[in-house]
Amino acid sequence: MFRSTSVRLAALYTVAFALAVVVLGASILFTTRAHLRQQFDARLEVEASALAQEFRAEGLSGVAQAVVERDRMAGALDYGLCTADGRPVAGRLAGSHPPLGWSRMRIVQPDGDVGFIRVLSTQLPQGYRLVVGTDDEQNDAFESNMIQGFAWALAGVVILGALGGYALSHGVHRRLAAMTGAAEAIIDGDLARRIPLSGSDDDLDALASTFNRMLERIAALMESLRQVSNDVAHDLRTPLTRLRQRLEASRLAPAREERSEAIAGAIEDVDAILETFAALLRIAQIEGGARRAAFRPLDLSVVVGTVVDAFAPSAEDAGQCLTLSAEPGGLIEGDAELLTQMTANLVENALRHAGNKAQILVEVRRKGPSAEVVVADNGPGVPEAERERILDRFYRLERSRSTPGDGLGLALVAAVVRLHGATLRLEDAAPGLRVRVSFGAPADGATLAFLNLADISRSPDAG
Amino acid sequence: MKLLVVEDDRETGAYLKRGLSEAGHTVDVAESGREGLFLAAGEAYDVVVLDRMLPHTDGMTVLRTLRASGVRTPVLLLTALGGIDDRVEGLEAGADDYLVKPFAMAELLARLNALARRPPTQDIPAVLQVADLKLDRLTRSVTRGGARVELQPREFQLLEYLMRNAGRVVTRTMLLESVWDFHFDPRTNIVETHMSRLRAKIDRGRANELIHTVRGAGYCLREPD
Repeated sequence: MFRSTSVRLAALYTVAFALAVVVLGASILFTTRAHLRQQFDARLEVEASALAQEFRAEGLSGVAQAVVERDRMAGALDYGLCTADGRPVAGRLAGSHPPLGWSRMRIVQPDGDVGFIRVLSTQLPQGYRLVVGTDDEQNDAFESNMIQGFAWALAGVVILGALGGYALSHGVHRRLAAMTGAAEAIIDGDLARRIPLSGSDDDLDALASTFNRMLERIAALMESLRQVSNDVAHDLRTPLTRLRQRLEASRLAPAREERSEAIAGAIEDVDAILETFAALLRIAQIEGGARRAAFRPLDLSVVVGTVVDAFAPSAEDAGQCLTLSAEPGGLIEGDAELLTQMTANLVENALRHAGNKAQILVEVRRKGPSAEVVVADNGPGVPEAERERILDRFYRLERSRSTPGDGLGLALVAAVVRLHGATLRLEDAAPGLRVRVSFGAPADGATLAFLNLADISRSPDAG
Repeated sequence: MKLLVVEDDRETGAYLKRGLSEAGHTVDVAESGREGLFLAAGEAYDVVVLDRMLPHTDGMTVLRTLRASGVRTPVLLLTALGGIDDRVEGLEAGADDYLVKPFAMAELLARLNALARRPPTQDIPAVLQVADLKLDRLTRSVTRGGARVELQPREFQLLEYLMRNAGRVVTRTMLLESVWDFHFDPRTNIVETHMSRLRAKIDRGRANELIHTVRGAGYCLREPD
């Protein structure tokens, strides 16, 4: 029970509240006590000085008279008047000899009770001494009433705190138990399990839905991992088998020339396999997201321009037409190297699959504060049902099986797009395929820094 | 050339030593980062081939220590397959070039040659000349035998790189990296097509061809024999 966080919290709050009540009570008590004492003391001082006045005006007999009279009044102060050598003159306190000034004195009441009174002893002319005292007991009674009141308040706080704490911890405990249950189920292998939400939209719900999103992400990653290992097993088996056959054949080959040819072929096979591995690792690393630290503001039209410029002659030689239509100044934040490879893969994909005499148009458009790249061809296109799947690793359309390629080009594109938080859309260019990659807006600071850089690099000798 | 290979894997080390020795270089092999550091700091090598992944003192530490102690020997970093950030990190730490394992020996040789004979940038003459081919880096003009040759900007860059490495083999990937800044291998033969266009402008109809294809390795621009 006490290991529950909410119970502990409730207990802690109750203790804190109780302490607050105690501190509050004590401070009120002390202030009141000091205040009351001040008032009593002031009254004693007034009395003492009034009697001294009386002495000066009426002499000893006048004072004695006054003392006797005042002593007789109910609820009055106590008085005492004695001579310099201590002989009592008048008043109940005449027999006691407290030191001059303030003191506390023990007295025995007429009914036998022992009590304490506070006294002020003053010197009158001719060595007479006047003692004025007041009962402390009224004060004490008041104080004990107050303490009692505070004790009740304290008890109330503790009881209410305990009740509130119980209610709170019960509610929280129920919901934490639901979370624990979901986590246990997931540990036991039920990966589809999610934490139920209470619908109250509070912080625990927010936490639960964050956890659920995390679980979704993990499930997606697990799925993609499973997919990759399947794909690797499938797609590497063929070239590895071929490699094995080639090596086997080279062992049997009688002629030296034949053998070295077989070895050259084997090296080619290994290179192809390694390339596939490299591509897979690269995709995995991009999906890992570590590259985001290398993001810089950049002009998309420059990146895309370089790629189109590199591929245009090859396209032309193949009887295809690759053209660029770029609006400059489309700023995005990203990794130039990966964006270059992404564009190259898109262009290569179009060159490879759109067929002879295909027209491929690459556009860079500014879109608000950001930009998008569109690569469109007029080839046979991709059937709608398969459009999403061509982004998967190793996925290839049936008719493309004979064209070269490892089925990883667009998977890498998809990974780069995801890394940049961009969106990728595959559209029907009627005829052909249009791939549209739209980027989000770069941060303001980045844009400014970039503009300054652009100004500098506009000098003629740059580059 | 005198080369130092820092490589912990014995088999790879032996393979490198044999390949490089066959190409006429003197090769020392260090099997640990510590030993490599000791040798590189103590002897004058033309190029150091440094494996990034070494036990104990790793390649990056060796590289940083060398650079911090003022050793300016060119370093070629060997990185593992798919190490996407290794290149940037390596170049920042002071490497002059990098190569992803596994690689072809021809590629390594070409890069080592380019590294060892690479003059500091400020020492590159404004006008490069090979036989009767002249390239002016300031006016960005090219002439062959006195006749002006019109080149596209990218062809100009390609030719400049070849001329700066005149007499040495440059590989496809070296060209992809330095001319296009492509750090991946496109399936399309973009280097070949650009090269054939450049050749058409430089060499076509001439008695002496300057740009040569080196089979299995790359290209070489050199004076006719």
